[in-house]
Amino acid sequence: MLRIYQRMAQVNWAEQWQYRANLFMYILYGLVTPIVYIAVWTSIANAQGSVSGLTANDFIVYYMIMLLVDQVTGETVIYNFVYKIQDGSLSSEVILPVHPLLTRTLMNNLAFKVMTTFVLIPVWILLSLLFQPTFASVTLTNVLLAIPSLIFGFAINFLLSSTIVCIAFWTTRVWALYRLYGIPVALFSGQFVPLQLMPKIIQTMSIYLPFQLFKYFPTQLILGNLSTHDIILGYSMDIVWLVVVYIVFRFAWRAGLKQYTAVGA
Amino acid sequence: METLKLIRSFIKVNVEMSLAYRSEAVIEFLLDIMWLGWELLSLQIIFWNTQSLGGWNKGELIALMGVLTMVNTFMSALIWPNTEFFNSAMHDGSLDYMLLQPVNSLFLVTFSRISIWRIADLIVAIILIVTGVNLAGEIVTPYNMLTFLLLIISGSVVLYSLWLVLIAFTFWFTKFDNNVTILQALTDTGRYPVTVYPWWLRIIVTFIVPIGLATSIPVQALRGDLNLQQVIIFLAVSIITLLISSQIWRLGIKRYSGASS
Repeated sequence: MLRIYQRMAQVNWAEQWQYRANLFMYILYGLVTPIVYIAVWTSIANAQGSVSGLTANDFIVYYMIMLLVDQVTGETVIYNFVYKIQDGSLSSEVILPVHPLLTRTLMNNLAFKVMTTFVLIPVWILLSLLFQPTFASVTLTNVLLAIPSLIFGFAINFLLSSTIVCIAFWTTRVWALYRLYGIPVALFSGQFVPLQLMPKIIQTMSIYLPFQLFKYFPTQLILGNLSTHDIILGYSMDIVWLVVVYIVFRFAWRAGLKQYTAVGA
Repeated sequence: METLKLIRSFIKVNVEMSLAYRSEAVIEFLLDIMWLGWELLSLQIIFWNTQSLGGWNKGELIALMGVLTMVNTFMSALIWPNTEFFNSAMHDGSLDYMLLQPVNSLFLVTFSRISIWRIADLIVAIILIVTGVNLAGEIVTPYNMLTFLLLIISGSVVLYSLWLVLIAFTFWFTKFDNNVTILQALTDTGRYPVTVYPWWLRIIVTFIVPIGLATSIPVQALRGDLNLQQVIIFLAVSIITLLISSQIWRLGIKRYSGASS
């Protein structure tokens, strides 16, 4: 099994290396929004000293760390899987004795991640020089404490998107669905503002929803902004959601595959 | 006259094509409305924490959102579909036939595809602008209104010129299929006034990818912040960029025919 993953990783690396010019453009997409948010919130924080206790530096550090968290927990499943269902090229993959999504697509995601990291790091350093934040609250303990949450975050994010991708077995409108999925992510993940600035009801809901597990939770862990109670609650949510999402995904995949064979026959 | 006839037939063809995608259009429109709800909420969150953003109040930012929606409509009705059309025509060689036709190539590459349904978003844009201006409590003089409209058009012309240069680059660098990404990625910066951005981002969105020219500047004209001289400069800039970019397009076309033979 490990050798399968190794081989898939090699193939994907070689495949994607051809498109390295496109990498920068891909990175650019992810960069614009956090930079805009940094600009907006630092301009407010600077004008009034602080926003609900958060200083300009707090905002810069929050978005800068979230950029890195996103890099680890982000996924690209929809971009490299939906078309396989739609043009039928999935057929040659399902006859292999390995799971198409959980091996090839997963490795494709990871290879892409490693490659974009090489582009992101210099850009990230440049941004640090421009915004000049002080990362005083980031300690080694915090980072170590956050590592499992990053793995959980990626797994949950990947499986959630994979479940949405499975809907492509039934409908061609999966891209519209993906755009719809972006709304709860925007509301509950903490990507727009640190969640304490959101309305109370959204704050409470986001604790129990999976979306903050791949953005807000790891970011705040790294920044050391969480109490022991928050950390235990967050990790409990990680475990619960990973199990739930995995079961839902298995179910959607099996049902979808039946549907797919029916169309293909 | 010839051109008008052509535009009319282009519209007719595109309406017929779009009719096949009615339900998609409705879904897209509903999604746009839902995202708009989120944008308004995020604006509200900002204004729970401050009275003004970069010297602008909430109403002005809603008006700005309306202008951005307008620019986005222009992009998604005309620019993005034609980019896709151009890129695939370049890819499969059908561009050769396009260039052989006795019509200005610039015209063909701009108007071949029109996503008719996107125009529904214009209504949303106008509602946002009117609501925003009312909320800001501003008295809009006819002069301000006129300069506002002119500057939206001239700003869009500048963006169009940039687009033209970007796709013309494909003639030099064939593997450049991400040609418009920089334009797409930076459009979102138009959501906030350029005055909130740090100096380097302000330079980018004013001079390099001038989203600000099509969003912040027109709203400034609506507020009456711009004098006549400034308005004339902005209009002149748009004409000059259009002339330069169409020259670059022409050079690109020449290069293309040279390469294919």
